[in-house]
Amino acid sequence: MSKAQFDTSRLAAEYDSRQPPEVLKLALDSFDNIAISFSGAEDVVLIDMATKIRPDIRVFSLDTGRLHAQTYQFIDKVRTHYQISIDVLFPESEAVQKLVNNKGLFSFYQDGHKECCGIRKVIPLRRKLATLDAWVTGQRKDQSPATRAGVPVVETDGAFSSTDHELIKFNPLSNWSSTQVWDYIRTHNVPFNELHNSGFISIGCEPCTRPVLPNQHEREGRWWWEDETIKECGLHSASRPVTTGR
Amino acid sequence: MHITLVKKILADGSPCRKCQQVESRLVEAGLLDKIDSIVIADERDTDSAGMLLATKHQVKQAPFFIVRDEQGNETIHTVYFRFIKEIFNRNASESEAAADILDSSPDMDYI
Repeated sequence: MSKAQFDTSRLAAEYDSRQPPEVLKLALDSFDNIAISFSGAEDVVLIDMATKIRPDIRVFSLDTGRLHAQTYQFIDKVRTHYQISIDVLFPESEAVQKLVNNKGLFSFYQDGHKECCGIRKVIPLRRKLATLDAWVTGQRKDQSPATRAGVPVVETDGAFSSTDHELIKFNPLSNWSSTQVWDYIRTHNVPFNELHNSGFISIGCEPCTRPVLPNQHEREGRWWWEDETIKECGLHSASRPVTTGR
Repeated sequence: MHITLVKKILADGSPCRKCQQVESRLVEAGLLDKIDSIVIADERDTDSAGMLLATKHQVKQAPFFIVRDEQGNETIHTVYFRFIKEIFNRNASESEAAADILDSSPDMDYI
């Protein structure tokens, strides 16, 4: 199927109630030039499911240079366990050096995480996605009710598409809960990042990730010092709710 | 062509950081005089012109641009680097584009 024939809106509605392996099958049947984005966390279930459909599935990971040692070990474990190659993407050393030389190694605690994430994650990701027709993410609605409640199982990627390059984004786990993901991991003996044994739920860079306590939302384990700035761009009403506000 | 920039005043009366950044970038690029009107979305006043425009166009974030062509058709631009590319054929740096992507994509908060 070509991108022109891919009816994203119709398929998003049609597949909304389907299970993740069905969404993955749709993705892999529809696109040859497609890859899974693997964060080194519980999104490993996507690789487990996808290799059963296409054993040579393409996978990439963003190595920011600041990941936990356990995450690096896990990425390598996944590589050997599934006998796949993982394309590890690195940030541009010049940009990292400029940031670190100007602002130090922990500027995100003062200036917010976006500058560092932009250099270490978004730029390499954008370059990679410019080479693909479609990608697969582990995004789930329950990861953040404030920002991911509307994540569909498939969409046109509004962040990384351009006027001359439409990118399709699949989120097969969108409607699964964390519990369902972990039920799958246990049932299918899927390898997982050791950090999960220490209370980490969401796993990102080492300085920006912390374990959470029982009943704390996983969002509280990431960038816990800057919740207010994350909301800053939203249009909120101080007096009464407006339909456009988040 | 008529271009409107909608920028935001926060509930505490301070200007929104991203709106200030975008305005500075317009100045640096020599494009501010291409903006025909600047409208305020004041979080303290849901009837402020900018809040009404946001409601009308179902925009959830500020700043944003409304571009009206000669036929009266309006298009909304919420991502600055794409706006300057599509309207003025100008390119932003990779780091600016990355910042715009993060600011305009709430679901990337976990990236």
